[in-house]
Amino acid sequence: MASRDVVTYKTPLSRLLNVVIVIFLAFYLVWTILPLFLMFVSSFKDLLAAFQLPPVGAFSQIGIFFDFEPTTKHYYNLFYNLGFSTYLMNSIIAAGGSAVVSVVLGSMAAYSLSRVDFRGKGDLFFWIISTRMAPVVAVLVPLYAIFRGFDLIGTRTGLILAYTTFNLPFAIWILKGFFDNVPFAIEEASMVDGSTRFQAFRAILPLVAPGIGAFLVLCVLFAWNDFLFASIIGSGGAKTLPPATRELVQPQNIQWGSIMAAGVVTTVPMMFLGLLIRRYLVTGLTMGAVRE
Amino acid sequence: MTQNKNATPEGVVRYVEGAKVLDYLPQVFNVKPSSSYYFWLMAPALIVLAAISIYPFFWLIWMSLHNVGSSAGDTFVGLKNFEKLLTDDKFWIGWGLLFKYTAFCMFFEIAIGVLLAVILNGHRFENILVTVFLMPMMMAPAIAGLVWYYLFNSTFGWYHWLMQSLGILGETSIIGSTDTAMAALIIVDIWQWTPLITLITLAGLKRVPRDQLEANMVDGASAFRNFVAITLPNIYPFLLIGIMLRFMDNFRFIDVILALTGGGPAESTKVLPVYLFDVSFVFFKLGRGAAIALTLLIVTIILCKLLVRVFEGPASKRTDMGS
Repeated sequence: MASRDVVTYKTPLSRLLNVVIVIFLAFYLVWTILPLFLMFVSSFKDLLAAFQLPPVGAFSQIGIFFDFEPTTKHYYNLFYNLGFSTYLMNSIIAAGGSAVVSVVLGSMAAYSLSRVDFRGKGDLFFWIISTRMAPVVAVLVPLYAIFRGFDLIGTRTGLILAYTTFNLPFAIWILKGFFDNVPFAIEEASMVDGSTRFQAFRAILPLVAPGIGAFLVLCVLFAWNDFLFASIIGSGGAKTLPPATRELVQPQNIQWGSIMAAGVVTTVPMMFLGLLIRRYLVTGLTMGAVRE
Repeated sequence: MTQNKNATPEGVVRYVEGAKVLDYLPQVFNVKPSSSYYFWLMAPALIVLAAISIYPFFWLIWMSLHNVGSSAGDTFVGLKNFEKLLTDDKFWIGWGLLFKYTAFCMFFEIAIGVLLAVILNGHRFENILVTVFLMPMMMAPAIAGLVWYYLFNSTFGWYHWLMQSLGILGETSIIGSTDTAMAALIIVDIWQWTPLITLITLAGLKRVPRDQLEANMVDGASAFRNFVAITLPNIYPFLLIGIMLRFMDNFRFIDVILALTGGGPAESTKVLPVYLFDVSFVFFKLGRGAAIALTLLIVTIILCKLLVRVFEGPASKRTDMGS
């Protein structure tokens, strides 16, 4: 940054400031990573080893954290005894299905909203964004009552529909911003060459494809991480990973090893997806309000 | 869509060095473009959206006026569900706790997030550090809640051990006491969402005009003065977006709370959405739940109005395509 270039003389104060900054960053790094790291390591610990703590105040014995025989039995347990392969499948289908539905319908709507003007467009936008911003529990109450009537509780279809309540408005809203950036001249040129309007729409798709792909991934992420819809609408037949993990917490016997393993299974794929679309993450998480 | 004003029934008239040239175009360009094509493109999305948002909204209003799920079937009770809320302590306490929770989360997230962004901006390791810092955001909030539940456990939780060793806490776990349970929730929220504020602020910092900073420096302004006079006004719209987004999400999600404290102990963390969850899905008083949900929705919609205005602010001005 520019200010860095201007103030280059090193006073004792600026040196001290540098030290403070390094300490702060190191502290923040540890603070961010430690829970993830503990989750990861604990998922490989046997039950007894997971409960080992040094005596209060004995900082020198902190090393016992690493004193264990790694075991993959919790992962084995998850998939062979606790039925997590079904839950994983439910998660993949519900999140993927809702993302595809949202992005396909959303990009069509976003494209036309970006190309046409009509009265009440502002109100339409307000409706779309407020759908997305509504508290999940408040949406859940009527949705539960309706879905119960249609026998959609405990089905993957029900979950896909439920996730579409927040993914579709998100897709429309954010993709509209994307299509706004594509000059109409490109379609015009394509139509001059004799293509139909729908072919012209397809002609600009390659331009927006990276963005559409990224927001598809983000829709998957939002749906995958959901807990409330899954625990009410998915309860019974379509349990996904987060509520299934939560159910391992039982008053008598909390299976910590399995919970941590389930946490890893739920979190790691999403972290990879997050890194994959790193470039679009700020735009996506701020609903298009901030661009990097 | 722009209409070429030179369009005639034969095509578009253009003059090249005084000579009249006719560009023949497909028929579509010679007539006023019909919007029905665009309407059909957006229809499926709007129909689906209406079915899963407007229809449930009216259903919600209907439910709030009925005693849903009673043995005698759904009976009309008028505004009774709302009347009961007026004297329902848990309802009002829930609102209070919700605002307290949101306010504390936002204060710390803004303070730490902006500080972090200012430090990271232009730092040698900016890219890699930011990438690491945003990891918690990718985690399902319910899982985050469970992991922290493990860390805070009073018999084997490492964070509990740390706090005990540092003399901050006694035997009781942080989530086991009515005084500290809320703090535990705020800590988790800070852990997970401070990076969002950092990301947003960083995006803002990249647009602070360098020449102004340099000019001010030359005029003898201190780094701090520079920050207040130039950087802060420039990143202000970005901060506003961050605040609104966090505000919304604290209203929207209760996953961490359900996983970590479940509203307890002694209802000290029963923010309004958690109370709503209990009324609707633990006691299955859906009519009453609908009344609470409706009030929550109305407050959110008012906040949304504000949000949309913020979204149309200077931060959303687009610089280049697709990035």
